[in-house]
Amino acid sequence: MKDKDVEGRLTELGKELLADVSKKKSPKMTMPQRGLNNVHFDKASSLLRLGKKTSTRSFMNVAHSKKFMQTAMIGAKCKELVSRGKTASIRELYYQLKHSIAETKENTFDDQSESDPLIVDLETMLEVMREELHLKADDKGTLIGNIIIEDSGDTIDCSKLGRSGLSVPSIVEQYKFKKVNAKYVLVIETGAMFDRLVEEKYHIKNNCIMVATKGQAARGCRRLVNRLHTELKLPAIMFTDGDPWGYYIYSVMKAGSMALAHESLRLGTPGMKFVGMTMSDIDAYGLEKVTETLKDVDKKRVSELLQYPWFQKKEWKKELDLMVNKGVRIEQQALASKSLEFVAEEYLPQKIKSGELLS
Amino acid sequence: MGEGAVADEELTKEKHADELFKDFREVSITEFFRKNRAHLGYSGKVRSLTTIVHEMVTNSLDACEEAGILPDITVAIKEKGPEHYKITESDNGPGIPAAHISDVFGKMLAGTKFHRNIQLRGQQGIGISGVTLYSQMTTGKPMRIKTCTGDNKVVDIQLLIDITKNKADIIETKNYEEYWRGTTIEVEVKGVLYNLSEQGPFEYLRRTAIANPHAKITFIDPEGRKTVFDRSTNEVPKPPSEMKQHPKGLEVDDLVNMAKASKSRHVSSLLSTELSRVSGAKVKEIQELVSFDLNKNPRKLAWAEAEEIINAFKKVDFMAPPLEGLRPIGEGQIKKSVLSILNPEFETTLTRPPKVHSGGVPFQVEVAVAYGGKAGRVAGEGVKAEVMRFANRAPLLFDAGGCGITTAVNGVEWKRYGIKDFENSPITIFVNLVSVHVPYTSAGKQSVADDDEIIKEIRFALMDLGRRFQRFHSRRRRAIEQEARLNTLLKYSMELASAISKLIDRDKEQEKIAKDLEKFIREKVKFDEELLGDAESEEELTEAELEEVSEEEEDKTEI
Repeated sequence: MKDKDVEGRLTELGKELLADVSKKKSPKMTMPQRGLNNVHFDKASSLLRLGKKTSTRSFMNVAHSKKFMQTAMIGAKCKELVSRGKTASIRELYYQLKHSIAETKENTFDDQSESDPLIVDLETMLEVMREELHLKADDKGTLIGNIIIEDSGDTIDCSKLGRSGLSVPSIVEQYKFKKVNAKYVLVIETGAMFDRLVEEKYHIKNNCIMVATKGQAARGCRRLVNRLHTELKLPAIMFTDGDPWGYYIYSVMKAGSMALAHESLRLGTPGMKFVGMTMSDIDAYGLEKVTETLKDVDKKRVSELLQYPWFQKKEWKKELDLMVNKGVRIEQQALASKSLEFVAEEYLPQKIKSGELLS
Repeated sequence: MGEGAVADEELTKEKHADELFKDFREVSITEFFRKNRAHLGYSGKVRSLTTIVHEMVTNSLDACEEAGILPDITVAIKEKGPEHYKITESDNGPGIPAAHISDVFGKMLAGTKFHRNIQLRGQQGIGISGVTLYSQMTTGKPMRIKTCTGDNKVVDIQLLIDITKNKADIIETKNYEEYWRGTTIEVEVKGVLYNLSEQGPFEYLRRTAIANPHAKITFIDPEGRKTVFDRSTNEVPKPPSEMKQHPKGLEVDDLVNMAKASKSRHVSSLLSTELSRVSGAKVKEIQELVSFDLNKNPRKLAWAEAEEIINAFKKVDFMAPPLEGLRPIGEGQIKKSVLSILNPEFETTLTRPPKVHSGGVPFQVEVAVAYGGKAGRVAGEGVKAEVMRFANRAPLLFDAGGCGITTAVNGVEWKRYGIKDFENSPITIFVNLVSVHVPYTSAGKQSVADDDEIIKEIRFALMDLGRRFQRFHSRRRRAIEQEARLNTLLKYSMELASAISKLIDRDKEQEKIAKDLEKFIREKVKFDEELLGDAESEEELTEAELEEVSEEEEDKTEI
């Protein structure tokens, strides 16, 4: 969408609010609901999709008043950013808008956790993307491998960035993939495992692109993997810890998240496969001694995953049931109990070659 | 009551008294007093002092009302030494004729009220002569009475009680001329204590003032501080009238005694002329129910026959008793005194229609609820709920735990009416039980028996006020909520107006937008508040209440 169109939508929002007041009606904002009750798993696309339910925020409802004001403030600030051709991080936006309300000791915003979800509200309400509002999150995630990217006129050869790799920005729309020589993309949960595989030159030896999400994947990371998979037709394979949290990171990468269900098409990679850690690995590789006992929160999370429609596949139910039965989880780095090289030289190549992957 | 009592034709007044006084003659008066001092209100140092003040003030109020005078009463308490006080009480009442003084103050059980079916504060005549006795037992000093009926002849008399003869022992009499009217009583007592507790004289007088809006009461405490509880009305309550007994309130021996003293020729005419609400038609109904001819001579009425009549009374429906004998304070008057003394944020008053207890004794319940202002009892830092109990306008300060009024107040689920923490609310509950015969639990007259009909009646009255309070309370809460809402909305409106002006690229219109928004907010909040108020007034009774109310309706038809 062009900046002009985005500006137009923001102006329209302001006019609607003003019209409500002159019609003696409470100013209102209507947006799609983003809770579990309005998110469904679309089997055809294998993605989490937003339903048609909307919620209306009314200024005259004191429970909504402050959020309403905050949302309008964010809208006004975005309008300024777009018209000035500037892009702000969501943290900068927070600081730009934070001040005390006239004649009170109350702040417009007390924490960035107040503004972040309202940005998403604005995106869904106006049906524009965050980057179109000229907002970005902090960089999160790293990429390394045999790919040349053009970014705003600069050319980045991601095979020549030493061991640190490319820091994945929050917006990757402007990336142009110039040259690629890779068989697949390996997405890794932890930074430590990424570092291990870089040191072992796994990406070179196996001719792949490696991406570290460093915990739950940020939008930039998800969008980048989506683009590598859809535009370059590269298979995507995920490698996480063997616990409910790791499995959920995979699920977000693959099917999208509830919070950003409106963006699933752009952020999800339904064709993604999962290499490990699986519960079967514990027996297959003799890792019984290096497991960790499940805590109550872990067990609770497992039972939540079992409720999600997109975890209803036989193979995943089997993994989760096995996890509950064994009462253990297993980290990626537990593979180091064999040897430092084991993961790069035996575990990953063997499993990927033999196609022992979960869907 | 057995037949023995009936055989005694010449019943003395004392014999008619409460069980307590039955064997009065057999023991000496002091002995009697010592044995029964707790029942007579002389237990405890604070309570004894309050009882003395009570006896004095009660006499004055009753005398003034009977004479149609607006009472102006002054009570002064002076400390003479440790637990030693002089109490002076004076009124502007009708005065006491010289011939009656020694009987009123120097003879136990000689009161004029005793044995009249009439509603007065004091009922049993132990009253003021008990004060004389208490003074002579604790200090040996006589009671001094100065009184004048307005004929310029002042009688100034000092007397004790001759305890063996139960008559006044006059120590000194002075007569002189002075132009005034009223009575002043002065006693010195020991073994009593003045303090500001809920049971002390100050609280007693405060409550007396609330229940007697026509009285002006001045109090001078031992420190010399003067408090005036001014009257809030100039209307003297109509004096109560004596009334015929209602058949439902009659016992067999009452009827036998009546029959013996009756001048009627026939039992039938006795029933129709000497009892209330017994018409000729009702006599016929009774005739159908008894085995003998009601045309017989009343003086020949046998106990068994009287019993038949009493049983017949129970089966016949009579009109409710006449109410002239009842003397409620009245909603308007209570409201005035509550407003003037408690100055509450909210008050509501209800005088219920008369009912009967014990089968035929008329009674009436008056209740008031005051909230905020000076309502409630100050306790340390905070304010606690206060229950003011009255019987025929006389405050009941003691024995709250054993009192039917307390039972009734506790029987109300205050939470239902929006009072979450009743005990710690600035609330005063006022209950006045009006009856020609209040069923006290003891001669100390500080608590009302747990009579089901009375308790139920008080509860219903309080529930009614509870509902009114709830309406006030939710109005108040709504006002507070809407005020808070208004402030919240106005607080955020400036930023919203600024954001809107930026969204539509008209920064300069920010002020105009802010003004429009503020105007809209104010109008809308006001509109919503009124809307909510309308919705509330149509509020239905809760199911539990409906049940109770229907019970109440049934009761009404029973009378």
